[in-house]
Amino acid sequence: MLTELSAYTNRWRRVPPAAKGLFSFCGMVAAFAACSPRSALLVALLLSAATILGAGVPALRYLRIATPALLFLLASGLSLLVSLDFGGSNGGISAHLAGSELSRIAQVSCRSLACLTALLFLALTTPLVDIVSLLRRCRLPDTLLDLMTLCYRTLFVMSEAVHETTTAQSARLGYASFRLSLRSLGGLVANLSVQVWQRSQALQLAALARNNDGALRFLGPEYPDSGRAISGAAISGILLIVLAVTLP
Amino acid sequence: MTAAILSLADVSYRYPDGTQALNNCSLTINRGTRTAVLGANGAGKTTMFLHLNGILHPSAGHLLWEATPLDYSRSGLRTLRSRVGLVFQNPDSQLFSASVREDVSFGPMNLGLTDKIVRERVEEALHAVGMTESADKPVHNLSYGQKKRVCIAGVLAMQPEVVVLDEPMAGLDATMQEEFTAVLERLHGAGMTIVVATHDLDFAYGWADQAIVMRSGGVLACGSPAEVLMQRDVQDELGAVPLVAEISRQLSLIGIDLRDNGYLPRSKSELLKAISSHTRQENTP
Ligand SMILES: Nc1ncnc2c1ncn2[C@@H]1O[C@H](COP(=O)(O)OP(=O)(O)O)[C@@H](O)[C@H]1O
Ligand SMILES: [Mg+2]
Repeated sequence: MLTELSAYTNRWRRVPPAAKGLFSFCGMVAAFAACSPRSALLVALLLSAATILGAGVPALRYLRIATPALLFLLASGLSLLVSLDFGGSNGGISAHLAGSELSRIAQVSCRSLACLTALLFLALTTPLVDIVSLLRRCRLPDTLLDLMTLCYRTLFVMSEAVHETTTAQSARLGYASFRLSLRSLGGLVANLSVQVWQRSQALQLAALARNNDGALRFLGPEYPDSGRAISGAAISGILLIVLAVTLP
Repeated sequence: MTAAILSLADVSYRYPDGTQALNNCSLTINRGTRTAVLGANGAGKTTMFLHLNGILHPSAGHLLWEATPLDYSRSGLRTLRSRVGLVFQNPDSQLFSASVREDVSFGPMNLGLTDKIVRERVEEALHAVGMTESADKPVHNLSYGQKKRVCIAGVLAMQPEVVVLDEPMAGLDATMQEEFTAVLERLHGAGMTIVVATHDLDFAYGWADQAIVMRSGGVLACGSPAEVLMQRDVQDELGAVPLVAEISRQLSLIGIDLRDNGYLPRSKSELLKAISSHTRQENTP
């Protein structure tokens, strides 16, 4: 969990989530406001610089986390660029470059890239727990946030269960051949479904025992000196937007 | 000191699938005492605990808080659950949030306390279990023993009068068990009533004021650990004896009496001390 690791160990871990959220939001606005591919690229560059140089997320780790999304972006850019033509005049398939659309495609891709870096900024500097409590303060529906909290927690519990079960299966040669692997995989799924069921029941009991009657309520984390951090984030965020709009 | 705080009177419980988990179970827990509940797997310890907190309702018989029957209305259950804190066996199935502080705040928030009071209680509870330093770590990066302590803090933050712990020692190494015993001792010192299910006879013998041995949903024996755990039928049921007690007994058979004003050693260290003071007495003319 590289994202996790960064969120908990970066230099800006103690900066109020509201400030980081605001900056990231401004970054996204700037990405949409950018009127040329060049200014969108600049926004992306500044946001990743803030993450790498400011928050101190190692550049290599940053790249590793961003790679899947970048590949996805590249693939969609290419698919916009090249259009296949079925059933042309002579019945074959022809491919041609969308030359006239080139600038539009560049614009869209660069904007997406800027948005990606804005999201990465938040994800790599702020633990999910803080993000959820920030969203709670932004009055997002409780049910949604409770679901996020439980899913996030369950993710780790389940990945541990998967790890344990697969280890136990491999120890008994469960994955020694393709046929055995399929069998073991079936066993894993069956085992996990039972575990999910049992765990959800146990969680419900535990909630009852602690006097719960519906919504999951937690005390949000406290951050000192949020006023200064938030105004700092607002100023730099607005500068980012202004830059994106004014740059030709 | 000897006033009953919680008692079960002829409680029976049958799970929906037909398993008769409790069978005319009667027992009493006194205020401010330490109770160890023993019994083989499936004896009904967990089921009994779920009754103490009002999660399960008896199919027959009833429970008493002090001298009044439990009130199973919504508000009655709220009161009961704020008085009786229940810590389950598996930490992963009772931690809701990925943040230690958030999870500990869950109970007191449910009590409807103000943020300020909740914050104070969370810090107090974390301190009581020695987890203040790890409070900013995500739950999934904690060790098993640390997760267990977070679970206890989550209950302590509700400031209950009774804390019920289901097999808290299971899965802990020797050092963690010792730390854990220290936490329990602190709680007892603060006047809390503590009920612990355990398979550790030596721990029960050394720690508890009262031992309750369960067998197939009923109470087989109940009383001071020194009496109960040396009973023949209890030993047959549990398949073992507390080592310290057995050594004292064997020594008395060969004429070495470790009793000091009628007090027999209850822990390994007390036993060693008694033996060495006995040898010293032998050697002085
Ligand atoms: N949710 C359940 N549904 C049906 N039977 C159960 C359930 N939980 C426990 N039992 C059964 O009730 C009996 C007592 O179990 P339990 O209270 O968990 O014992 P202990 O905690 O002493 O090991 C056992 O026979 C067990 O199989
Ligand atoms: Mg049990």
